[in-house]
Amino acid sequence: MDSDVTNYSVVGRIGEGAHGLVFKAKHLPTGREVALKKILIKNLEDGIPVNVMREIKALQLLRCKYIIKLHDMFPRGMSLVLVLEYMCSGLWEMLHHNQQELTLPRVKAYAQMLLKGTRYMHAHYVMHRDLKPANLLINHEGILKIADLGLARLYWPDGGRPYSHQVATRWYRAPELLYGARYYTEKVDLWAVGCIIAEMITKQPLFSGESDIEQLAIVLQHLGTPTQESWPGHEHLPDFHKITFPESAPTPWHELLPAVEPDAINLVMSFISYNESKRISAKQALKHPWFINRPLPAGLEDMPKPVATKSK
Amino acid sequence: MFSTSSQKKFWTFGDENELVCLREKHNLQFILKHGAHIDEYQRYNFFLTPDEERLLLKQYELHLKEFCKRFSPPMPKGVVGTAFHYFKRFYLYNSSMDYHPKEILATCVYLACKVEEFNVSIGQFVANIKGDREKASDIILNNELLLMQQLNYHLTIHNPFRPVEGFLIDIKTRCSLANPERLRSGIDEFLEKVFLTDACLLYAPSQIALAAVLHAASKEQENLDSYVTDMLFRDAGPDKLAVLIEAVRKIRSLVKMVESPAREKVRLIEKKLDRCRNQENNPDSEIYKRRMREALDEDDLPYSASNRMSLDTSGVSQVSIS
Repeated sequence: MDSDVTNYSVVGRIGEGAHGLVFKAKHLPTGREVALKKILIKNLEDGIPVNVMREIKALQLLRCKYIIKLHDMFPRGMSLVLVLEYMCSGLWEMLHHNQQELTLPRVKAYAQMLLKGTRYMHAHYVMHRDLKPANLLINHEGILKIADLGLARLYWPDGGRPYSHQVATRWYRAPELLYGARYYTEKVDLWAVGCIIAEMITKQPLFSGESDIEQLAIVLQHLGTPTQESWPGHEHLPDFHKITFPESAPTPWHELLPAVEPDAINLVMSFISYNESKRISAKQALKHPWFINRPLPAGLEDMPKPVATKSK
Repeated sequence: MFSTSSQKKFWTFGDENELVCLREKHNLQFILKHGAHIDEYQRYNFFLTPDEERLLLKQYELHLKEFCKRFSPPMPKGVVGTAFHYFKRFYLYNSSMDYHPKEILATCVYLACKVEEFNVSIGQFVANIKGDREKASDIILNNELLLMQQLNYHLTIHNPFRPVEGFLIDIKTRCSLANPERLRSGIDEFLEKVFLTDACLLYAPSQIALAAVLHAASKEQENLDSYVTDMLFRDAGPDKLAVLIEAVRKIRSLVKMVESPAREKVRLIEKKLDRCRNQENNPDSEIYKRRMREALDEDDLPYSASNRMSLDTSGVSQVSIS
């Protein structure tokens, strides 16, 4: 417990999180670059936020190349400082500022890293619940890692406990969450993975609603009105009867993802299913032909090596 | 998984002697720090002895149990178990003269609620505390960070409750024991007591769970020995079985020895503690109030000429001199 702030030299500010500021710093004894996430506790009514507690628990449990690492933490006045692996860029930045860098082999490599991280989390019964490009960071070597586990929580495979449905950023939110489900599974992460892979391929979000209602409308319009067959039990979801949408037939996938090769469409489809039990697992998805067929996923040596400091 | 956990690596100790040594060490450290001016032979007239500290903490463990039992809304067992772990861990590395157990007790339970996803607000929480609730909530929130730090941020606790469920399922499927559910009351009773012992600092949660199951069976005049030897440990080898049998025997004997400290003794210790406790950590003392104000101010201070680095500035290329 000898860690404290004097071991670090702050280099600059990276951004602002929900509970405080994030700084880039250097760990003086090792010269290692780190991100210091400072959580201000003083004005928080209930003390250290549950989200922070979840993030700490999840990161302590998960030790995987594709999940961000928590090096250390220490108190500082009335704040708690988390020392995280420093990541200079992210998938969001790639999609918005370096689109031309996102060639198909590289997209496949990122998809593989995302799936390996997800496979690891799910093998440890942790669901992330907020996968999206902004939470997928990329380091100077070009490795993509899952970050921001503030919504991550342990789940029980028997599904006996209700969880909050107010999770996940709208565009990546699974339809059962949009309908207010309190009993759901790690498969909500796989819906998000499907949306992210599609977005990397086409360079635009798969379903981009401006509001929760519109989000649902867009999903229903594309996948078609749910039926007993396509989505067993959907009529029992808490908010299902609160709103009705015009009947629609599913849009064919080659119209939804024009100019996308059949392998890729097949993979995305395997994630984007109303019926969560039909959604492919991360483990299965890694064996999908898309990763085996040419062009092959890029090797790490061919991945972009971001250098620019991410500034917000 | 317990086998790869921080609980096994850092918080499961070899024997009771190790625990005694740690506690004595921190008792002595406190006295050396705060009682250097007192004659060596007079020390324990003023300060608590290690034995007095033990007795006091045992009393507070009983308070902890009662507090959780009466908590509204009803508290899941996992929260109680986790709070006990935190409390015991805290006082392995701290003296009760430094931090008063009543304050640490409440903080342990509050932190356990969060970690175990039993979501209650601080308002709901202190509604369960008698006396000045605003003060209680200040104390808890002020201590939360200290507690986490003293636990070395090892928040995840493996309790014996899940292994108990596992054993019951296993017994139902592989054993001829009639109606295994009737073991439950004996198990619960045993586990309630086990947290009043040091067992959770010495044994794996599954060993404690098995001790509870075997105890409950013998209370029901049943014998599960052959389940343990022929089923659970059939392929494990005799040395492993011997280790387990010894662990179970020890856990059961620890539970058998649980007794409440004598009220009069505890009263005297509490009185002594009021005088010898570290006033810096006493929320009623001036020195504590001043320190808290300073901690709050420290956060507000912008980067100044001081050589201490402040995380509040967007300051670029500061060099820390330390």
